[in-house]
Amino acid sequence: MTKTRSDEEKLLQAVAFLNAKVLGLILGILLGLVIFIATNWLLIKGPQVSESGRQIVGPHLQLLSQFFIGYKVSFSGSIIGFLYGFAIGTISGSLIGWLYNRIVNIRHRL
Amino acid sequence: MESESASLNNNKHKKVVIIGAGPAGLTAAYELSKEGLRSVVLEKDSVVGGISRTVNYKGYRFDIGGHRFFTKVRVVEDMWEEIMGDDFLERKRLSRIYYKNTFFYYPFRLPNALWGLGIGNSIMIVLSYIKSQLFPFKPEDTFDKWVSNRFGKRLYGLFFKTYTEKVWGIPCEEISAEWAAQRIKGLSLLEALKNALIQERPSNKDRVVKTLIDSFHYPRLGPGMMWEKVSDTVTSENSEVILNADVEIIYTGSGKVDKIDVLVEGKIQEIEGSEFISSMPIRELIQKLEPKPPKEVSHAADMLKYRDFLTVSLIINKKDVFPDNWIYIHDPRVKMGRIQNFKNWSPDMVPDQEKTCLGLEYFCFEGDGLWTMSDRDLINLARKELEIMGLVDAREIEDGSVVRMPKAYPVYDSTYLDAVNIIRDFLSQFRNLQLVGRNGMHKYNNQDHSMLTAMLAVKNILGGNYDLWKVNADQEYHEEVLGDKSIEPKDYKELSKTQPLVPVAVAQGEGGVEQTIISVFAGIDKLALALSVGAVSGGAIFIATILLILKGGSVVGPNLLLLNQYFIGYSVSIEGAFIGLGYSFLWGFIFGWLFAYLRNLLTGFYVYRVKKSAELSSFRDFIDYI
Repeated sequence: MTKTRSDEEKLLQAVAFLNAKVLGLILGILLGLVIFIATNWLLIKGPQVSESGRQIVGPHLQLLSQFFIGYKVSFSGSIIGFLYGFAIGTISGSLIGWLYNRIVNIRHRL
Repeated sequence: MESESASLNNNKHKKVVIIGAGPAGLTAAYELSKEGLRSVVLEKDSVVGGISRTVNYKGYRFDIGGHRFFTKVRVVEDMWEEIMGDDFLERKRLSRIYYKNTFFYYPFRLPNALWGLGIGNSIMIVLSYIKSQLFPFKPEDTFDKWVSNRFGKRLYGLFFKTYTEKVWGIPCEEISAEWAAQRIKGLSLLEALKNALIQERPSNKDRVVKTLIDSFHYPRLGPGMMWEKVSDTVTSENSEVILNADVEIIYTGSGKVDKIDVLVEGKIQEIEGSEFISSMPIRELIQKLEPKPPKEVSHAADMLKYRDFLTVSLIINKKDVFPDNWIYIHDPRVKMGRIQNFKNWSPDMVPDQEKTCLGLEYFCFEGDGLWTMSDRDLINLARKELEIMGLVDAREIEDGSVVRMPKAYPVYDSTYLDAVNIIRDFLSQFRNLQLVGRNGMHKYNNQDHSMLTAMLAVKNILGGNYDLWKVNADQEYHEEVLGDKSIEPKDYKELSKTQPLVPVAVAQGEGGVEQTIISVFAGIDKLALALSVGAVSGGAIFIATILLILKGGSVVGPNLLLLNQYFIGYSVSIEGAFIGLGYSFLWGFIFGWLFAYLRNLLTGFYVYRVKKSAELSSFRDFIDYI
């Protein structure tokens, strides 16, 4: 005779699955926004004087251009940065979700 | 079409014998008459209605216990309205608890409860509740521990112990915790979470609360009026209701019931039928079978116990005694369990509006001291107890009457479930016998539940295939009866929320909202998330390093190299890419695990809080179900 599971048992035994696409989209939007806002924040803050006496805007964030070709600390750069951030966030989130679901499937033999 | 008409003709020749003219028996007869089938109803007593009868004493009417008419089962509600028409009154509910000379509104109202208990007592209740949450009784195996763990020991002592012991005649320390847990089964965790997430529209919520707690329907002349009308209807439809008919022998053979010997007015009558529906107590049913059932079955039947009940009705020469429909008496100084004020149920229950008729209810066992007391002594006891409580001046009591009701409540002791299962198993061989009602199934059913079992029994006679034992016991089964359009599946589900204790554990439906709620609150697999976050972050550092190496230049990746302040040994090189992968995997793993752990912890806390809050809110109407 099969024992009927109680609500508590059902909840305790349930394992969550992640929606890889949604997780990717969320991480993509978040990362894209972080780069977009960070870039524009530096633009609003204005330039700072370097050791050599030059006025430069966001020298450290500018380093992102090593990976994000075409990116610079400017408004147009912030849009390019958003797109790069969105792409990387989406790929990473989807990958995390996909891997997580695969591991859960293996661990719980579903 | 031909087979349908053949089946209809086949049914027309059926003669159904129904034992018991209580709500279940008469509902069955009524439903059969609507289908054009003849039935014979055998009632041991001289009146119809069973425990839902209304007794008439010198024009003063009183119930055997108060019978509120409220149900969430549409077909039952429809039948009530169909029968009662304009005589079906909507009444406001007012009930209180009497404890140590103080009245507490029930369901509880906080200001009134705090005022009645006093500040000191209220503080002690809160402290006792906190203590019960921090240090609950373990193991939680008895009723007192179960209630104390949920509401605190002090509230248990004030509002549950005395009344429960009066009703059931067993010390709370000897009542199984399972008994109480079954009561709370209507309080589903998933339902509580759903309510917490999806707020009901106020209008709808108000309506539900109003329907179930603050008001109810009631026949103008008491529940007996309903069953007298049903009895009249079925007899006018060529069926019979035979009163004072004591079932003597039930003859069985070849896998069915053949006939019944009934003692009517000192003579044995032989009643034959093609189908039999019994609402008589299972214990008696087994004793009346011929040939005798196996010893094991007879022994099981003897194990079934009942709680009996007597009402002392007093006619008071006073227009208004108290405004309540009924009062729960928790006061240990008196033996009575409840007082009904029938004029407040319906003004027509008394012939003279200047007077009042009170029903003082005593729970007892057949043959015990209360049961065997003379009517005169019982009336004197009632008079004395009313004076102790200061409710009525004894000089205002004009007259009184006593009604004893044996087998009012089936007792759920530690052996009853096994006994019922043995009997069910044995009786299942008789394909033309169905058990319905409260005592007929030894289930603590309300009137609407008993009626529903009878309705389904009739559907079975007409060719249906319903398991009556699963009604109000197995909600998954309720989902299966979708085929029958006249009884909505929600009827079964909703019913369980308004019923008293039923022994079988209830499972929530797996589909729809419940499944969504489970998936929302399901735990995240910590290891799986840790591995996946670790792998992705490790991969990201690896790819970033490799990209810089491929890009080349005089100094390769000076900025990414800064990572070696945290990742000792890391460099922008092939070897460094693997070292970075390892470090990043480790940190990603830790982050993922911690994230899942904290998310599960906080979700668990939320679920726990919702559960506790729902449990605590059940305190509001807990006593109604004892």
